[in-house]
Amino acid sequence: MKPFSNEPVLELRRADVRAELASALAESDGRGPVRVPVWIGEDRREGDELISTDPGQPDRVVAVAACASAGEVDEALRRAGEGAGKWARTPAGERARILLAAARGLRARRTRAAALAVRECAKPWPEADADVCEAIDFLEYYARGAIELAQGAPLLQVPGEHNDLRWLPRGIAAVISPWNFPIAIPCGMVAAALATGNSVVLKPAEQAPGCAQLLCEVLREAGVPADVLALLPGEGAVGAALVRDPRVHIIAFTGSAAVGLEIWRTAAETPPGQKHLKRVIAEMGGKNCVLVDADADLDEVVPAMLNSAFGYAGQKCSAAARLLCHESVHDVLVERLAGAITTLQVGQAQNLATDVPPVIEQAAQERVSAYRDKARAEGRLVEGAPVPAAGWFAPPALAAELPAESSILSEEIFGPLLAVERVRDISDACDRVDASPFALTGGLFSRNPDTVEYVAGRLPVGNLYVNREITGAMVGRQPFGGNRLSGTGTKAGGPGYLLQFVEPRTVTENTVRHGLVV
Amino acid sequence: MTIDAHTGVPAGSSALEAETQRVGHSIAGALPPAARHPIQALDGKAMQLASADQELKAALFRFVDVVPACRSMDDLARHLTGFLHEVKHPPAPLSVAMRMADSRAGRAALGAAAAAGVRHMAHRFIVGEDPRAALPVLRDAWKRGVAPSVDLLGEATVTPREADDYASRCAEALTTLTAATAQWPTRPRLEGDSHGVIPRANLSVKISALTPLLRPHAPERGQADAAERLRPLLRQAREAGAHLHIDSESLDTRDAVLDLALRLLAEPEFAAGPSAGIVLQAYLRDSPQMLHRVLNWARDAGKSRAQPLTVRLVKGAYWDHEMVQARQHGWEVPVFDAKADCDANFEDLTRRLIDANGLVRVAVASHNLRSLAHAVAYNRLRGGTDADLELQVLKGLGDGLAEALAGCELRVRAYCPVGDLVAGMAYLVRRLLENTANDSFLHDQAAGVPLDDLLSAPTPSHVLAGRP
Ligand SMILES: Cc1cc2nc3c(=O)[nH]c(=O)nc-3n(C[C@H](O)[C@H](O)[C@H](O)COP(=O)(O)OP(=O)(O)OC[C@H]3O[C@@H](n4cnc5c(N)ncnc54)[C@H](O)[C@@H]3O)c2cc1C
Repeated sequence: MKPFSNEPVLELRRADVRAELASALAESDGRGPVRVPVWIGEDRREGDELISTDPGQPDRVVAVAACASAGEVDEALRRAGEGAGKWARTPAGERARILLAAARGLRARRTRAAALAVRECAKPWPEADADVCEAIDFLEYYARGAIELAQGAPLLQVPGEHNDLRWLPRGIAAVISPWNFPIAIPCGMVAAALATGNSVVLKPAEQAPGCAQLLCEVLREAGVPADVLALLPGEGAVGAALVRDPRVHIIAFTGSAAVGLEIWRTAAETPPGQKHLKRVIAEMGGKNCVLVDADADLDEVVPAMLNSAFGYAGQKCSAAARLLCHESVHDVLVERLAGAITTLQVGQAQNLATDVPPVIEQAAQERVSAYRDKARAEGRLVEGAPVPAAGWFAPPALAAELPAESSILSEEIFGPLLAVERVRDISDACDRVDASPFALTGGLFSRNPDTVEYVAGRLPVGNLYVNREITGAMVGRQPFGGNRLSGTGTKAGGPGYLLQFVEPRTVTENTVRHGLVV
Repeated sequence: MTIDAHTGVPAGSSALEAETQRVGHSIAGALPPAARHPIQALDGKAMQLASADQELKAALFRFVDVVPACRSMDDLARHLTGFLHEVKHPPAPLSVAMRMADSRAGRAALGAAAAAGVRHMAHRFIVGEDPRAALPVLRDAWKRGVAPSVDLLGEATVTPREADDYASRCAEALTTLTAATAQWPTRPRLEGDSHGVIPRANLSVKISALTPLLRPHAPERGQADAAERLRPLLRQAREAGAHLHIDSESLDTRDAVLDLALRLLAEPEFAAGPSAGIVLQAYLRDSPQMLHRVLNWARDAGKSRAQPLTVRLVKGAYWDHEMVQARQHGWEVPVFDAKADCDANFEDLTRRLIDANGLVRVAVASHNLRSLAHAVAYNRLRGGTDADLELQVLKGLGDGLAEALAGCELRVRAYCPVGDLVAGMAYLVRRLLENTANDSFLHDQAAGVPLDDLLSAPTPSHVLAGRP
């Protein structure tokens, strides 16, 4: 097998590559709304309980989904339980082969999948394409990882005994995925569970059932057995039912801190009849900080901050929310950023010239708007260009001179609002970051190697980026995930991730018989 | 062997090769003594050490890069020692420097010395803080037979205001240069060719500095915004009889820049002028197609222009960037990866340009004696006059070479960056990199490679591999 390498993103600087996107979108639109069934085994029950729309044009229906009932949750788990044993006994190489076939399947549908993410989640093309590439990467990476895991681990061997460490699937994984990486994140969690021999019940975000459906189609077509992967579109109640159920072994979740903590609590219970502890893999929120020291190159800080804070309207888990800036460059940087956000074009995701697409839904638009009002009242707010009237648009904005206790500095906003703070020095900045319960990503701009070392030692974050943007983690290159209340410290796309999905077993055999080593 | 279409001068023919060698030797003979070893002449020890030791080179560059952002001598010294700590085997003088940094007084002294060193280096490459301050240097060069093209260094343009500032600095530079150059003495060799008068005032501009909106995946917005600031400059240059040259940057913006330049120049209001030019980068694998496009434009949309388009042929200044970016994204590498392929392509493009010199003005920009000698030789064999070929070098890298070329009565222009140290740092680092890159002519020349080897024809890798 070829060693892992990342799926190349489209070279959108080339006009001929860009030209293909328009036709991909037209083709996708031409298909009409995606019908997303509750899909258990061979049964596909369609319905129209859930409607997902284009955030930039809310009257455009992108997907029409059924919503799984309590009975269907139960049925999905029953079938998953039936499928689990056989899948667990399927050799790792065979499971990997199926995941690699899925990678090929997704590759063959790359622009179609991206077009769906453009419409359903208002992901601009470059990011939608990267989302699909990341999904392919997860399939390729975990397929290889599972084969390696199946080799076991070398143990100390002494005469007369044989020691063997192996990893076994846990059973059923409930995957609860978000809308912001509508293909990559569900794909990563599902692929990890499948690669290690678990069966999967997927509950995708209600805002992105269409993308989840495409993913499940790709996986089933590649040969994932019918009773090993079920799709349960629905709202929070479906996820909650899965989390409670004693038949579930693994809960792989990416989403908000509030829901994540609720899952963590519920999963800790061991109702009568449950013979295991549930394993929770949670990637939760963040309040990601970028530190700018006095020696930073502001020419690089500005574009990197525009990308990190406003790319995909600030709706990446890794997005920058706070900029902690050395007092000697604070004013200059704020002025340059204030000028630079006026250059950001707010518009439809399918327009390649769009820098800031709409946020996902009306509630998000209102939430971000409330924080902007608060910033205006508490400090200084600089807003970017006016936004289109229809659609859930929010202008990119910069908040400065806020009081230290402002909730804008502590709460996750998940939108295009960046707060700038003045710090005395880098150690002051580290203290402030350290005071936060979140620790997902962080950034540092400094050209002093000693400062880089100091900050790398002090920031609690899961991913620290130095002198670059803080979004865009690549599978195999930047294993991704947060610490503290940002997550369970598991690293998606990294070497240890699959270990969360398996149970270790050591087998020691006495090889001495009647005094002879046999 | 390929025969060039209409000239009958075979590429790589023995006549062309012999003439190239002859021209190369005569230019080499005219080099001032120091220019034979430009790197030593440069910053003696530091650069010599740096080009020998990769870690040291990295430390030196990172230091030069951060100098303008340091707030005190103490701060400078801390950065310097921070970088030097990453060099595993520091040469003796550096160990001394690092010990100095242990005390506050030592750091102050070390910082001051290092800052002076960087400033000294910068002055080689940056001719003045602004065009007015640069005038004496430019005039002096002109008198010695070297014409200038002025380039305004600046910080990256990230806001509309910064774009406006750059545009107004360009406008001021045009005014200053036009007025001042009018007083310069006549230098017929620098002022005319068979197309007619060559403007004295010559400004190079960067489109990325004229707009904060250039996005590789959405070029139209940036082009439209840049056009708003470029048109007035073109008008001003036309009225002043000055030349405006549009530089090429990385591949991310290459098409946007070229399309914009060719589109504006074809607008009726610019039919009468100004004299203008674009850049063709020979390190790009698709550069032959680009040349094809440019020549078609010159035959077609650009035909009615009073002044022919100047095409500056270069190898290209963003080679490392293009390599790294392509590798990080898994893209096909857009540049040649064998230096000889780049050099051979440069020679192919040189011949095609010279063949087309009825349509365009040809400027060959290089510090590589072989590349320049080949251009001069081909032009002569083809029956052209030296007046129809401009040779260009960068201030600081090609000073001695410019002098030699002028001494050989060739038409030469030096690209002269103007600006302060902070604004010029990115430029300076790029030039230093170029100066010490193992794969460069200047490096080989300084390393004492014999002249005949320096002048030998580039052998493309497909020839080396035995393929046709
Ligand atoms: C007046 C002037 C204006 C210029 N304007 C521009 C401009 O607008 N845009 C721009 O991009 N450049 C421009 N340049 C070119 C650039 O800045 C360098 O000066 C030039 O590339 C150096 O080439 P050389 O012929 O002097 O030296 P050489 O030593 O012969 O060549 C070095 C060059 O070869 C190429 N190279 C290095 N290693 C490899 C390799 N392994 N494989 C393939 N190729 C390799 C690189 O381009 C490198 O710069 C300009 C140069 C001059 C003199």
